[in-house]
Amino acid sequence: MIGLLLYLLVGIGLLVVLWLLARREGAPVEGCGRQFVEARQALRTLQLGLLPENLIVRIFDREDFRYVMAAGPGEISELFLQERKRISLMWVRRVRCEIRNLMQFHLGYSRLHAKLSLPTEIRLALDFTLLLLACRALRILLNARGPYGAGAVVGVMTAAAGRVCAASEKSLAFLNPPALESFRRNSAGDGAAI
Amino acid sequence: MSAPAKHMDVLAAADDLRRRTLVEMTQPLERLLYLASTRDYNTGLYYHHGLALRFSEEAACEALAGCHREAFEELVAASLEELVHELQTYLESTRVAPNDFIVAWQGLEPYRVAVPVGIDSLSSELVFSNLKVALAILQSRLDARPKPGASRRPSPVQ
Repeated sequence: MIGLLLYLLVGIGLLVVLWLLARREGAPVEGCGRQFVEARQALRTLQLGLLPENLIVRIFDREDFRYVMAAGPGEISELFLQERKRISLMWVRRVRCEIRNLMQFHLGYSRLHAKLSLPTEIRLALDFTLLLLACRALRILLNARGPYGAGAVVGVMTAAAGRVCAASEKSLAFLNPPALESFRRNSAGDGAAI
Repeated sequence: MSAPAKHMDVLAAADDLRRRTLVEMTQPLERLLYLASTRDYNTGLYYHHGLALRFSEEAACEALAGCHREAFEELVAASLEELVHELQTYLESTRVAPNDFIVAWQGLEPYRVAVPVGIDSLSSELVFSNLKVALAILQSRLDARPKPGASRRPSPVQ
């Protein structure tokens, strides 16, 4: 009798799961142009505004700190550390925000257009998770140890962000006009990290 | 055909601008402030009379905008030490009393209106932040200098 009840419960549970899955709405295809444009914008902001190598090097460059320590009194070092912490936290916040925008796009819309293989999708999911965790860890470290206390996490974060951008670039490639693509292929890179 | 010709005009105008006008300004900060001053605050368009006569207003505008962005990017890439040096050189070129200059710059932050259009806010915040620290360094150097006649004349504040 108990066994029968157990089987009945499992059966009802499975039916409920099936019903929930059937009710789940997919991403609407119509009117999703805005999401593509927003994802493209997020990608551009990451590639050109937040992840260029020279910008990251400049924000976390220890030479500046050494110079300030040697150049002036303690208040200036304090001001410098305060300012650099503010800028680095702003950088983390902006990267996190744009990564979340890209993640939303990948969760909802990219599958409609991009032919991503299962391993690519798994890798992408892992990179998104890693990135969001790295952002959180970086914020804690920057708050606790200042702008120079999280060099390794910055490296991990920029590498993962580079991979996510490369994958997103493929998903959004169809938005690039062919003429621009050929121009891009023929021109040299502008020093961006990705 | 008109689009490539226009692009060539812009390149030629930018080259002309670099050779004739900007060559005198060795520091990116000086170039940035000069180029920002050629921009109309109401329209966002750049204007340079000589360049517009030689090429066209549109080509001159684009050339000025391109050089403005270039100067800003150089400033973003500059180390704090370089920035302090640039600021010191600029301060000396203005022939304003150093203390007045620093007080004005710390209060008015005139560099905030010198940012080209389309620059990411993080880059501009980094430059503003570095300039703030650079001004504090210059101020501390100024304070450390022995003031001639300071012992003879009382400060008006006292």
